[in-house]
Amino acid sequence: MKNLIQDTIEKIEKQHIAPEPGWKYLMKKYGLWLLFATVLILAALSFSIIFDNAKNLDWDLYRFTHQGRFSYFLSILPYFWIIPIAIFLAAAFFEIRKTETGYRYSWPKILLITAGGIAVFGSFALFFGFGGRLNSKLTEKIPFYRQHMLVTKESQWMRPAKGFLAGTIILAAKNKLEIKDLNDKRWDISLDEKTLIKPSANISQNKMIKIIGEKKDGGNFKAQEIRPWAGRGMGNGRMINGK
Amino acid sequence: MDKRKAATDADLIELSKEDPESFGILIERYQGPLFHYIRRISQLPKDDIDDLLQEVFIKIYQKLNEYSETLKFSSWAYRIAHNHVVDYFRKTSARPQTNAMEDYEWEKMIKSSVHIEKDIMDKDCVKKVKKCIQDMPLMYKEILILRFIEEKEYEEIMDILKKPKSSVATLIRRGRKLLVKKMKEQNINCF
Repeated sequence: MKNLIQDTIEKIEKQHIAPEPGWKYLMKKYGLWLLFATVLILAALSFSIIFDNAKNLDWDLYRFTHQGRFSYFLSILPYFWIIPIAIFLAAAFFEIRKTETGYRYSWPKILLITAGGIAVFGSFALFFGFGGRLNSKLTEKIPFYRQHMLVTKESQWMRPAKGFLAGTIILAAKNKLEIKDLNDKRWDISLDEKTLIKPSANISQNKMIKIIGEKKDGGNFKAQEIRPWAGRGMGNGRMINGK
Repeated sequence: MDKRKAATDADLIELSKEDPESFGILIERYQGPLFHYIRRISQLPKDDIDDLLQEVFIKIYQKLNEYSETLKFSSWAYRIAHNHVVDYFRKTSARPQTNAMEDYEWEKMIKSSVHIEKDIMDKDCVKKVKKCIQDMPLMYKEILILRFIEEKEYEEIMDILKKPKSSVATLIRRGRKLLVKKMKEQNINCF
């Protein structure tokens, strides 16, 4: 046993073995936390995009599509952002575990801290409008994203064949509207005494509206319900004859 | 040298960074516990353990700047020893050998693992239980060694194996269960 001390020290001196520099460990330590923070920020941005997008969607349309509430909910979930959140969450989890004392925490605790962090930072990002701005930029600049990656308010309401249409009013008459949809196509909208107009829907020129109804031949559309562009219109609404 | 002998582990680490001779005092302090730990988990012959131990101390020396006082130096040193032994077995594809533990160590482990209060008189029975323990996977065997032979606290085991406390408790529980199961399978009922 005595020799071990001498042998080891001799070996250290003879082979010029030295402690590895401290900055190497500091870089690893802070690098891991930096990576964790980056992943957390990316996840928080994804979270805020999901909520920004979700708050603009109409969640009650399943009533008009003969779909179950749950299957409708599944069909409009933003998987494009949910999958990265799951990946970021897993990455953040393993990064915490790799930190100096990360192993001391149980996985439910780490998961809770990470998910909580994503929710808190995501809410901040949502509150300050980062999610909305990023989503708008992506929708505007990347057509593929707009068309295939996400159910947006626009894609939800530009399905005339399914009975959903949105656009800007060009002409408003008593039983008839003329609108220009989001793709600049003109539509003649017919209204009757059964058409429900939601309270905050402003039926005047240059106002944007959403229409639930039935596509007829050509550019004709029969309106069953009219909502304002923003929100669901609240309340029970009124019929065209004012009842 | 005498002054340095009274120094704390943390002070010696700082001194060792400049002067390898100070590292000798740390080696002196921990060579015994680490030798026995490596012997118990590796079950290798003495010469091989000595070689491994020297490699472990050189690794500790190289990593001195990594040490943080958030954990005990002994836990950190045990962790390096644990990783080194696991790496050794991975590289050599060798399984731990047998019978490197002393009889009193086996007895201590058997008694603690299966909650036996009385002295174990039947040597043939002990031999059978030893075989059951030897056949256990390294992770269970090691955790039982750390808990019942090294008598480490849960927090220390947690720092050595880099596992959360709940996982340490689970591994100990499963290790015990596995041992009892193996004993039942072998019809060992002699306590």
